[in-house]
Amino acid sequence: MTVSQHEILSLEGISKSFAGRRRGWFGAQPAATQVLKDVSVSVKAGEVVVIIGPSGSGKSTLLRCMNLLTVPDRGRVRFQQSILFDKGMGGQEGRLADLSDIRRRIGMVFQHFNLFPHKTVLDNVALAPMRVLGLSAGEARSRSMAELERVGMAAKSADYPGQLSGGQKQRVAIARAMAMRPELMLFDEATSALDPEIIKDILEQMKMLAASGMTMVVVTHEIGFAREVGDRIIFMDQGRIVEEGPARELVGAPANPRTQAFLNAIL
Amino acid sequence: MNYEMDWSAVWAQAPQLAKGLWFTLQISFTAYVCAAVLGLVIALLRLSPIRLLSMAAFAYTQFFRAISIYIYIIWIYFGLTMVTGLELTPFAASVISITLLHSAYLSEVYRSAIQSIPYGQKEASYGLGLGKVRTFLDVVLPQVVVLVVPQLVSQFAMIIKDSAVVALIGASDLMAETVRAANLDYRSFEFYTTAAVIYLLIVIVVSRLGGLLERRLKRSST
Repeated sequence: MTVSQHEILSLEGISKSFAGRRRGWFGAQPAATQVLKDVSVSVKAGEVVVIIGPSGSGKSTLLRCMNLLTVPDRGRVRFQQSILFDKGMGGQEGRLADLSDIRRRIGMVFQHFNLFPHKTVLDNVALAPMRVLGLSAGEARSRSMAELERVGMAAKSADYPGQLSGGQKQRVAIARAMAMRPELMLFDEATSALDPEIIKDILEQMKMLAASGMTMVVVTHEIGFAREVGDRIIFMDQGRIVEEGPARELVGAPANPRTQAFLNAIL
Repeated sequence: MNYEMDWSAVWAQAPQLAKGLWFTLQISFTAYVCAAVLGLVIALLRLSPIRLLSMAAFAYTQFFRAISIYIYIIWIYFGLTMVTGLELTPFAASVISITLLHSAYLSEVYRSAIQSIPYGQKEASYGLGLGKVRTFLDVVLPQVVVLVVPQLVSQFAMIIKDSAVVALIGASDLMAETVRAANLDYRSFEFYTTAAVIYLLIVIVVSRLGGLLERRLKRSST
C-alpha cells in the first residue's frame, strides 16, 4: 500500500491522569495515576500504525483519545483539518468540532466486541448508518449486508450476538464499524479476548482491510502482525513513547533497551 | 360459633362494590403510569453527572420511600389544602400520594437496570457517532425495559393493594365501599372476605399477564 504525505490524524502533547475513587464520604482522595505524559503521534492517510507495549503503558488510553472516548487533560487532537480538542496548548480551548460528526468518520473495534445484545447482527450493523448517516432502512440494510458478506457473516445476519462465537462477534463488530465508511479505523486489542485459533482469523480480516488501503491504528500484542502489516510501530512504556520507527526495523533491531527487553519477553 | 353467614347482603351491594372496584382500578392505573414515568425521570437524574441533580434525586428516593403512604395521603389531601388553600379531589390526592411513594421505589429499579448495561455498549455507540440521547433510546432503554418488566408488574399489584388507603380520605374506592356496606348491614366478615377475594383475583390476573409479557419480551430479545 502507499502511504501518502497527507496527515489524517495528529495528537500533540497529550496528557491524561485517572483519579482514584474516593471510598465513602470521608475517605481520603487517592493520588491520581498519570497514564499519558506529553505524548504526540501523527498518522498519515493509508498508513498502518501499530502501538505495542506492556499492560498499563497507556496504549489503549492513547487510542481512545483519538476519537475522544477518553478526554485528555491536556493536549491537542486534530482529525483531517478540524481540531477536535485543544486544552493547555495556547490555542482556543475546549472541544471545537462536532464530536458526533467526527466519530462517525472514525471506526473503532474493541477487545470485548461491545455488540448490542438486543439487536440482530444485521441491526447491529445497520443502526448507525440509519441513525447517524440518515440512510433509509432499506439502504442501511443493503449496505450492512454487503459489509457482513465481506467478513463472511451474511449467513448469520438474523442471529443475535448471544448466539455467536467470539470470533464471529468480532467479525460483526468490524462490519459494524466499516458500514460507516470510516476514514480511519482504530483497533483496541481486537484479538486479546479470543481463542488462539480464532486470533489468526481476525488478524487476517485486519490484514485485508490494510491491503485495501484503510488507514489504521492498531493496539495489539501480536508482534508478528505488527511486523508484517504495520508500516510503523510505536513502543510505549509508562505513559510515554519510548521508541518509534518502521515496523521491520523496530522489531528486527530495536534501539532502546526497554524495547529490546519487551520484545525479548514476548517473542 | 353461632355466626350465620349471609352472602345475600353482599349480592345486594354488588353494584356499589363494582363501582368501588372501578374507581380503585382508575386510581391504580393512573398512579401506575405516573409512577412508571416519574420513576424513570428520577433514575436518570440520579445517574446524572451533575452532582446537584443526582443528590436531589437521591434525597427524593430516600425521603419518599421512608414514609408510610398512610401519612402522605392525609398530608396531601388535608395538609396541602390547609397550607395552600388548593383543593384537591380525593382522586387527585390519591394519585399523587401513590405516585410519590411508588416512583421512589421504581426509580431504584430503573437505576439498577440502567447501571447493569455494560459501559462498553455505550462506548461502541458513541464511537459510531450516536449522541447520548440516541444511545440511551436505541441501546440502553430497550434492554432496560426487558429487565424491569417483572418488577414493574409486581409493582402494579402492590399499587392496587396500597390504593386501599385512599378510603381514609373518603374516596369511594373498593375498600371504602366495603367498609360502608359492612357497617350498613353488620356483615363485616362477608364483605371483607369478598374484598379480599377481589384483590386476590386482580393480583393473580395482573401477575399472569406480566408473566406472559415477560416471556414475550425474552423470546424476542435473545
